[in-house]
Amino acid sequence: MSVEDPYALLDKWLNAQELLVVGKDVTRVDAFQKAVGKAYFTEDYLLKEALFVKQVLSPYPHARILSYDVRKALDIPGVKAVITAKDIPGVNQVGYALPDQPLLAEGKVRYVGEVVALVVAEDYDTAFKGVESVEVKYEELPYLLDPLEAMNRNDILIHEEIGSNIAFKTKVVKGDVNEGFAKSDVIVENEYRTHHQDHIYLEPEAALAIPDMEGRITIICSTQYPHLTRDIASKVLGLPSSYVKIITPYVGGGFGGKDDEGPLVAAKAALAAYLTGRPSFLMYSREESIAIHPKREATVIKYKSGASKDGRLQAIDVKIIHDTGAYANRGPFILWRATVHASGPYEVPNARVEGFAVYTNKVYQGSFRGFGNPGIQFAAESQMDLLAEKLGLDPIDFRLKNILKEGSTTITSQKLDHSVGVGEALRKVAEASDWWRKRREYSLDTGRFRRGIGVGVAWHGISTSRGVPDWSNAYVKIEKDGSVTAYTGIVEMGQGAPTSAHVQIISELLGIPPTKVKVIFGTTDAPDTGATHASRGSSIGGIGVLIAAAKLRERLAKLASEILNVTPEEIMFKDGRVYSKKDPNLYIEWKDLIKEAISKGVELSATGYFFLPKGKFDDVRGQGFAYPAFSYMVVISEVEVDVETGVVKVLKVWPALAAGRILNPQQVEGQLEGAAVQGLGYALMENLVFDGKGRVVNPDLTDYVIPTIRDVPEIQKPIYVEDLFKYGPFGAKGVGELALIPMPASVANAVSHALKTRVTSLPLTPERVLELIRSSR
Amino acid sequence: MLTKIPEFNFLKATSVDEALRLIATHSNYKLLAGGTDLLMDLRIGRYKPEVVIDISKVMELKYIKDLGDKIAIGSLTTLQEVLESPVVRGKAPVLVEAVSNMASWQIRNMATLGGNLCNASPAADTAPPLMVLNASLKLRSLSKGERVVNVNEFFLGPRQTVLEKGEMLTEVEIPYVKDAGQSYLKLGRRNAFTLSIVSVASLVKVEDGRFKEVRVALNSVAPTPVRARSVEQALIGKEVSYEAVVKASNEVIHDISPISDVRASAEYRRKVSIVLVRDSILKSLSGLGINVR
Repeated sequence: MSVEDPYALLDKWLNAQELLVVGKDVTRVDAFQKAVGKAYFTEDYLLKEALFVKQVLSPYPHARILSYDVRKALDIPGVKAVITAKDIPGVNQVGYALPDQPLLAEGKVRYVGEVVALVVAEDYDTAFKGVESVEVKYEELPYLLDPLEAMNRNDILIHEEIGSNIAFKTKVVKGDVNEGFAKSDVIVENEYRTHHQDHIYLEPEAALAIPDMEGRITIICSTQYPHLTRDIASKVLGLPSSYVKIITPYVGGGFGGKDDEGPLVAAKAALAAYLTGRPSFLMYSREESIAIHPKREATVIKYKSGASKDGRLQAIDVKIIHDTGAYANRGPFILWRATVHASGPYEVPNARVEGFAVYTNKVYQGSFRGFGNPGIQFAAESQMDLLAEKLGLDPIDFRLKNILKEGSTTITSQKLDHSVGVGEALRKVAEASDWWRKRREYSLDTGRFRRGIGVGVAWHGISTSRGVPDWSNAYVKIEKDGSVTAYTGIVEMGQGAPTSAHVQIISELLGIPPTKVKVIFGTTDAPDTGATHASRGSSIGGIGVLIAAAKLRERLAKLASEILNVTPEEIMFKDGRVYSKKDPNLYIEWKDLIKEAISKGVELSATGYFFLPKGKFDDVRGQGFAYPAFSYMVVISEVEVDVETGVVKVLKVWPALAAGRILNPQQVEGQLEGAAVQGLGYALMENLVFDGKGRVVNPDLTDYVIPTIRDVPEIQKPIYVEDLFKYGPFGAKGVGELALIPMPASVANAVSHALKTRVTSLPLTPERVLELIRSSR
Repeated sequence: MLTKIPEFNFLKATSVDEALRLIATHSNYKLLAGGTDLLMDLRIGRYKPEVVIDISKVMELKYIKDLGDKIAIGSLTTLQEVLESPVVRGKAPVLVEAVSNMASWQIRNMATLGGNLCNASPAADTAPPLMVLNASLKLRSLSKGERVVNVNEFFLGPRQTVLEKGEMLTEVEIPYVKDAGQSYLKLGRRNAFTLSIVSVASLVKVEDGRFKEVRVALNSVAPTPVRARSVEQALIGKEVSYEAVVKASNEVIHDISPISDVRASAEYRRKVSIVLVRDSILKSLSGLGINVR
């Protein structure tokens, strides 16, 4: 085994006895620039000579495009181009999971807001005028808005070529559910509904495409996966991938939305730049952003579950329907995630889960923090409370009887051999919140203001699902003066992966201060690192950084050992000095060691490629290896409900996380708080409203409300259970999405407790809460 | 959906006289005070004025004066200035309560008291408190000079007021009210920076254990901000009791005509209007040291 074997390096650092930088509250390197408003985002790179791109949107939910008349628009002085599908030099196909989606509408439009044409002009207002002058003739077609209706109709087809409105199906079958229900002493059956959610990132979508003399294009854009963005843009342009370069500056929030929309925005700006030969800038208004870009899927979940008197789950039978909207996008992956997580983090011997992603004529669904999981965990956790009640058990005691632990098998029959800290997290947070006392005491409330306490427990598979390939990489080089530059495709969108975790990893391994480390992030100049999504930026993205830095350290330790005449094993790297652990007086300054390396021919650059090992998965039965590991999250929420107005106040929230090593507690706390508030907004107030034609009625921040700081509850210090994951950097699993996932369940269970009636649909607006109270009387 | 901002001529006035002359000579104009409503309204195509007249630098309309028996507030005084004024806080706390719930610090530093009234949104947050305070509005034009209108007569419909062409609001006068309890309650979709579903302002005076004066006003439940005259009538002269307040609050449904919109249904607005009217009156009473239950 070579000393540069990635498994050996990961293992060595997983089991490191003492860590100097990792695991500490290290201030991220971009904190100051962002605090004082000096950080640059895409729009800040706008060039004076750039053309402005604006989009012509479909006013119909479903219509055939009969003709375009762009003459009037082109007659406007300053309008440089009007681009429609036929002008695309490459391939007009950007479907992510299925080849069902054009970049610019072709033949048909399938939702109000679908992009039909681009107008390119000298300035913003002229582009706007151009958009208003493009004439598109449509033939309106009958349309479908309700997924339950759409899945049962074949007379109206949103995608004729598929022959049905069901875009995708999934299935998990384990054991025999009929037998399981026969063994059950209590059975609960319910239908749950969750709704769309918009990401409302501070920075709307933006891209600036700059053509160069050699026919290449550089795109500065707000995206979550530079390499995918490049691949899509080059495919649309018909250029080799290597002709397109992506630079992702600081991103003003992504939450998954820019994983889907980012590449499309870049491709549209690139198209304008390519066809006009001028730098071209496209930025969505908030209204366009809400109307056009994919949303968290709306769901209908039918859930039946049974347990025996001894408090053990026996069976679940679940049907998940995702309203996928006009296009499949990442819907199949989202549906897979919901399907394999349908049990919640519990042992269930018999399971049948079926998933359907259904087309409707609405803005399509896509990636959003939690990725199909918050909806299904809401249903699963509601069922757990109902079963506990029927069994006469406390909800947490009941969960603890069934919770996953080392050696458990999941509903895909995957055996969890390590890194399962959820039980400990649940026990600890229950104690910290004084759960059992409050649960009894609040049940006695009878006045206008009723308190409730609820729990949500969630699991979230790390890496891509099933056998879908996933890898990490990074390129790290040591400069002549001893400073270090690292290249990663991971982006910085507020979470701090490249500006804290990656910096810390390099600082830890090479013994130099964070100020000497520069991580160049979000660029296609780095090796493909995969996307910054799925809670993977710091963790899986960090593996490549760790391995590359560890390789350099091994080489330098060997060199230092030769110089100091000691064994490589006793070499330490700390505070800019390399020395013997046994005799710290035997040392060489880091800078001098680098000089030695250059003069002696030791390579000072390395890549950190790592391909995540995965097992087999049978897609037909939905059985097998689903994920290399799971992160776990518990949130306990305390609420107060005003039964006269229906207003729900979330008073306190207790988070507990089992996500392996906490690389930076301060950063993780920030992620947990942000995700909890985003989840609380989803549970209580955020609501996309559609009219009878599938048009979003509230595409603005006046009427799409998200929480303000005054809506934020007291969020307690998180409890961390560091259940190390053998393939994570230092054992880290992934955090970004976690606190959002159980939040709807946690709040809904708390409100259900307060009102002594079951919440089955979200959001819990005051009006819906009053209806719930009335219907329970 | 946003549209292109319409083209218009932009004129700037630096004095009241200049502003009055400009609005006398143009017919299709809009006044720009803080711009926090107007700019959005232009973007969504609500107005297509030929002329926008910027009065934001008419400094003579930015003041808060304590006149001994009333407070005079220049119409271009910002909401943040109203909020921070010790005079307003002392004499018209219900207005401060309402403004403190409005928008964000950034918006309050631009938006003006006059702008909030003249925009005449059914959800205007400064209207209910000024209505229960019985404020007077000074309106001026070149042709008619100055006239005074009670704020309770100012609103005619959504974005419609008694202001005539060529006329502008110059001052809001709030008479002192002695020995009155006042309160403002707002129910929105979140706790800050949001339009109300319903808001209620109330002002009560009590003498010998009886309601001597009761004024209640609401927003977002009718085409204009409205007084709840039925509730007021039901209480004046009555002995102060929890039951009386509860009973009278139910009367509010005769004063309002809410619609259903993206914020809430008419049904919900009717229900919570009753609750908020009751809560607001009880809170005003407790401001007088009277706690009934």
